[in-house]
Amino acid sequence: MQPVSVGLKFGFLIVLYLFLFWVATSSLFDLRRGSGPPARGGRGEGRGDGAGHPAGQPPARNYSDATGMYIAADSLLELEDYEPRLVVERAAGHEPGVAYDLLGGATLGRGDVEIHLDDQFASSRHARISRRGRTLVIEDLGSTNGTYLNGEPLTGPQPLHDGDQIRIGGSEFTYLE
Amino acid sequence: MRARNRELVGLIPASLLLTAGFAAVFIQRSNHLSGLSLTYGAVFLGLCLAGHVFIRIALPYADPYIFPVVAVIACFGLVMVYRIDGATLARQQAQWFVLGLVLFIGTVIFFRDYRKLERYRYVIVTLSLALLVVPRLPVIGESVNGAYLEAHIPGVITFQPVEISKVGLIVFMASYLRDTRLVLAGGRRVLGVTLPPLKHLGPLLLLWGVAMGILILLHEVGSSLMFYGGLLAVLYVATGRLSFVVIGLLAFAGGAWYLATHIPHIDARVVAWLHPFRLSEYKALGGSYQIANAQFIQAAGGLFGQGLGGSIIDVPGSNPVVHWLPAADTDMIYAVIVGELGLFGASALLMCYLVLVQRGMKAAILAGDSFSKLLASGLSTIVALQVFVIVGGVTRVLPLTGVTLPFVSYGGSSILANFVLVALLLLVSDRARRPGVR
Repeated sequence: MQPVSVGLKFGFLIVLYLFLFWVATSSLFDLRRGSGPPARGGRGEGRGDGAGHPAGQPPARNYSDATGMYIAADSLLELEDYEPRLVVERAAGHEPGVAYDLLGGATLGRGDVEIHLDDQFASSRHARISRRGRTLVIEDLGSTNGTYLNGEPLTGPQPLHDGDQIRIGGSEFTYLE
Repeated sequence: MRARNRELVGLIPASLLLTAGFAAVFIQRSNHLSGLSLTYGAVFLGLCLAGHVFIRIALPYADPYIFPVVAVIACFGLVMVYRIDGATLARQQAQWFVLGLVLFIGTVIFFRDYRKLERYRYVIVTLSLALLVVPRLPVIGESVNGAYLEAHIPGVITFQPVEISKVGLIVFMASYLRDTRLVLAGGRRVLGVTLPPLKHLGPLLLLWGVAMGILILLHEVGSSLMFYGGLLAVLYVATGRLSFVVIGLLAFAGGAWYLATHIPHIDARVVAWLHPFRLSEYKALGGSYQIANAQFIQAAGGLFGQGLGGSIIDVPGSNPVVHWLPAADTDMIYAVIVGELGLFGASALLMCYLVLVQRGMKAAILAGDSFSKLLASGLSTIVALQVFVIVGGVTRVLPLTGVTLPFVSYGGSSILANFVLVALLLLVSDRARRPGVR
C-alpha cells in the first residue's frame, strides 16, 4: 500500500496546486477592475455602470486610490463637495432628472410638504428624510402603502447611501451624495 | 452567469481533495482502500453543490472564488480532524459544517440588505462585548491552560464567544466609522502627527480598552491582537491616517508588555516561546512541551510531508494514549498539516487563506458605499490576522495562543462564526458587482 499512499499524497498536492493555479489565472482579468483612472471615478470601471444614475450625472468623484476612501477623508467636514440630493427617476408632476437638495432634510408626500408627490398611492405625509451629521436617514411616517428602499419595505429609520433607490407608490427617486 | 459557472468548477477540486485525503487516512489506518472515502467525497460535493445552488439563486453576482476556497480550506479541516481524532469527532465536525451552511443561508436570507445591520449596531456591540465576558462568569466559564476562552454550559454546548464577537465588533466599527470617519480624520497636527479631536477620541479609547480588557479578563493575547488589529485596520481604511495605526500599535504594545510581565500565565507563554528547547521549560507543567514537539513534527515534514496519517502525534505504544502533541486538533492542527503535507501542502493552505482575504478586499474595493467597504475590509483583515496569530504561534513567530485556524480547527463556534463572516463577505460582493446598482 506504500505506493498508493505516496501517490495519494502527491495527488492531493497536485490537485491543490492546480486549484490555486486555476484561481490565479481565472481571476487575473479581475485584477484591474475597480482601479481605473481617477478621472473616471475609479470604481465605475467595468461594472456596467450607468443604469443607476441619470445621464449627465458624473460617476462618483473624489475617489482616486484603491480603497476609494482615502481622498474623501482629506477633504473632511467641508460640506462643499457633499451634496446630498434626491434625483427624480420617474414621478408624476416631476421632470425626470431633476434633483432636490436634501441638506436641510425633506418630507415627501401628497400633502403640503417639501417634495410633493402627485401619486395616488402616496399618503399626505409619507416619508421623511432628515440629516444627522453627514448621514441622511429616511423613515416612513406611517404611510398606507409603505416606502421602499432598494426594493425592500422600510420598517424603521434607515441611513441612506449614495445610489440608493427610493420608491413610493409609482414614484422613484435615486439618492446621490 | 459566467461567474457562477466558475464557482461550480472550483468546487470539483475541493471534493477531489476530500476524497483523496480520506482515502490516504484509511490506508494509513487499516492498510486497505475503502470505497467509503468516495462516499464522503460525494456527500461533501453534495453539500457544496447545495451551497452553490443557493448562491446561484440568492447572490447571482457574488464573488465566484470565495465559496470554493472556503470549501477547499474546510476539506483540510475535515480530513485533519478525522486523521487526528477519528470518526466520531470528524462526524461532529461535519455536522458543524452542515449547521454552518444552514446559518450561512439564514444570514443571507435574513440580512439580504445587510445594511440593516447598521440599525442594530449598538445592540450588536453590546451583545458582542457581553459575550466576551461570559468565559469569566462562574459555572459556565472555563479556563483552558490559564486563558479564559471557552464558555461551557454543562451537557449542552461548549463554545468560544471570541469567535462570535469578532464579527459583531467589526460590524459595529464599520457602521460607527462610516458616520464619524471624516470627523476623526481631521484633527490638529501636533509634531507632524495628526491627532483626532478629543471629542471623537472616544471610540479609539474604547478600542484600546476592549483589547486590554480582553487581555486582562481572559488572559489571552492572541484574540486581543486579532481584535485590535482588525479594528485598527478598519480605522485606517476609514480615515487614511497612518498615525492612528502607529499610536494604536504603540498603545497596544505598552499594555501587552505590562501584562506579559505581570500575569504569570502570559509570562510563561513568552518564556516557552523564546526557549522551547530548554530542558527545564520542556519538562515544566504548562511549559514548552507542546510548542517544542510541534517544531519537531513540522521539521519531520520536509518539503512534501510524511503523507496523511504519517506524523506521530501520540506517544507510540502508550496506553492510555499519551499525547505527544497536545491539542493537535485545535491549536496545533497547522503543525500536523505541515508534518503530513510538508512545506508545499502547508503553503498551499496559506495561499488559500490569502485568496480568501484577497477576494474579500476585492469586494471592499468594488463596493460603492462606505459601510460595505469598511465591513468587507474589516472582515477580511480579521481572517488574515487570525490565521497569522495561530500559524505564527505554531511556527514560533509569536507566543502561542488559543485562537482557532478558521474552518480547519475542530470546534463548532469557530465554524459557525466564520460561515456568518463569509455570508457577509458574499453579500457585500454581490451588491458591489451587481451591474447597474451602486
